[in-house]
Amino acid sequence: MNIHDCNCCFGDAARPPFRYARTAEELIAEMDFCGIQRALAYHAGMRFDSPVVWNDRLVEEIRGFSPLGATWAILPSQTGEQRKPEEFLAAMRSAGVRALRAFPDEHRCRLDKRTFGDLLPLLVERRIPLLVKQNILSIGDLLKEIPGLVVVAMNVGPHSLERYLRPLMDEFPNLYVETSHYMVEGLIEESCVRYGPGRLLFGSGYPDVCSGAALLRLAQADIPPDARAAIAGGNLERMLEAARP
Amino acid sequence: MMSQMTNPSAIAREFVQTGRCASCPIIDMHGHLGPIGEIYLPAAPVEKMRRALLRAEVRKIVCSPHQALFSHPDGGNRLMQETIDRYPDTFLGYWAVNPNYPEAVRRAGKDISQARGFVGFKCLPDYHAHPITGAGYAPALEVANERRMLVLVHTWGGSGFDSPQMLAEVAQRYPNATFLMGHSGYGDWEAAVRAAHDLPNVYLELTAVYVAHDFGNQPGGSGTPLPFLSCLHVNGIIEHMVERASSGKIVFGTDMPWYSPHYAAGAVLFARITEEDRRNILYRTAEKLLARSGGA
Repeated sequence: MNIHDCNCCFGDAARPPFRYARTAEELIAEMDFCGIQRALAYHAGMRFDSPVVWNDRLVEEIRGFSPLGATWAILPSQTGEQRKPEEFLAAMRSAGVRALRAFPDEHRCRLDKRTFGDLLPLLVERRIPLLVKQNILSIGDLLKEIPGLVVVAMNVGPHSLERYLRPLMDEFPNLYVETSHYMVEGLIEESCVRYGPGRLLFGSGYPDVCSGAALLRLAQADIPPDARAAIAGGNLERMLEAARP
Repeated sequence: MMSQMTNPSAIAREFVQTGRCASCPIIDMHGHLGPIGEIYLPAAPVEKMRRALLRAEVRKIVCSPHQALFSHPDGGNRLMQETIDRYPDTFLGYWAVNPNYPEAVRRAGKDISQARGFVGFKCLPDYHAHPITGAGYAPALEVANERRMLVLVHTWGGSGFDSPQMLAEVAQRYPNATFLMGHSGYGDWEAAVRAAHDLPNVYLELTAVYVAHDFGNQPGGSGTPLPFLSCLHVNGIIEHMVERASSGKIVFGTDMPWYSPHYAAGAVLFARITEEDRRNILYRTAEKLLARSGGA
C-alpha cells in the first residue's frame, strides 16, 4: 500500500525531541523503519525559527531525495518578510512546492482575511491546500471567511474534539483532518462512516510523536481496505495533483 | 500495509499484519469506563471498548469509571464492580477515591476488602484539586500500604497537586504500597524517571506519554482547575525512560476508552528498544505487579 505522510519534519529546533531526524537522509531512514514510502515534509526551522530562512533551505536540503516533497510556511505579507503573493506563488511553482503550511501560534499572527486577504483568495483559485496547525475553532472562523479554501487541520487532538469538529466538517466540505493526533479510539471509523474516507489524510506527526503510533492505528483501523488506502495516501495525492501553484 | 518496513521487531511485524501478537499480549494498567462530559468518546459503551481491546490482544485492563472520578465515587465504583462481574476475564478495577468525599475515603479500606477484582486505588489529584501528599488521601494510602496494594495516581509535571516530586514524597511515606505514576509526570520527564529509578515502589505508566499535548491547540485547554503543562514533542521518550529507569519499571496504559490501544502499542513497537523491553512494557511488568496485588 502506498503510504504518503503529510505531517513530518526534520531539522534542529531550540528544544528538540529526544529522538528526531536532523537531515533529510535521516528522515527517510525513519520512514523506511516504518514502511512509509513518501512524505510531504517541512523543516523544524520553518516552524520554530523562521520561514524566511527555512522555506528555501528546505528545498535545498531535500533535493535529490525523491521520497520527499517540499512544503512552505506562510507569513503575512504586510511586514515585508514574505514576498508579495504573486511573486511568492511563482517562487513556489518554480521550487516544485504544491502545498503550504501555517503555524499561526508559533508565528504570532492571525490566519484570517484581514491578515492574509491578499494570499488566501489565490490559494482558493489555484486549489493549493493549506495545512494548518491551530485551534480548530480558529480554523472554523477562517473557513467562514474563505469557504472555498482547502484546509487540512493538523494535530487534531490528542483529546477528542468532535463536538467542535463535526459541525465544521458538516459545513465545510473543503475541511480535511490529518490523523497523527486523531488517536481516540473509534474516531477514524466514525469519520469514515459519517463523511466517507475522503476527509482524512495520514500524518505521522513525526517527530512530535512516534511515527509508528499513527501508522499502526491506521493499519488496524476497522475500516474497508479501500478506505485505508485513501487515507494512507490517495486523498493527499489527489489533492496535490489538483493544486496549480 | 507497511510490508517494506525495516523495523526488525518480530512483535511489531505481527502487530502490523494482524493487529495483535499472540506471544506478546497487552496488559493495560490505566483504563476508564463509560462516557465523560468533557469530550465525545466513541468507545464509551463497554461492549465497543471491549471489542477494541480484544482486537489488540489486550488481555486485561485495570479501570476506574469516569463516573467514579467525576461524580460521587460510590456510584462509579459500583459500576466498576458490575463490569468486573460481567467480564472477569477482561476487567480489573481500581477503587476510586476522592478527598472531596472524605467519608467515602475513610471507608474505602472496608469497601475494597468486600469487593471483587479490585487491585488498588485510583487518585486523580489535579481534577479533585487536592494534593496527593494531603491528609485527604491518607486513609486510602494507609490501607494500600498495609495491604501492599497498587495505587494509580494521575501525575503531571509542574502540578501543585501531583507532580513527580510529590509522588516521590508519598511513595517514601508509604513504602509497601506500589505507586503507578499515571502519565509519568507528563512533561517533567527527568523528575519522573528519577523517582522510578530511585524508588523501588514507583513505576512509570505510559498513558498519554506517547502524545504531544499542545493545550494551546485545544479549545477549552486541559479542562483542569490549573492548566496542564504542554509538551510539543515526545518522540524518543520511551527510549529515554528505558535507558534511565529500565523497562522493568514501565507499564502500558491507554486511558481507554480514550486512546486507541493500537496507537499506544505502536509507540512501543516502533521505539528503538529491545524485544525484551517491549515485552516488559506491554505485559511482563504488569503481570508481576498484578500477581503481587491479587489481580493475576
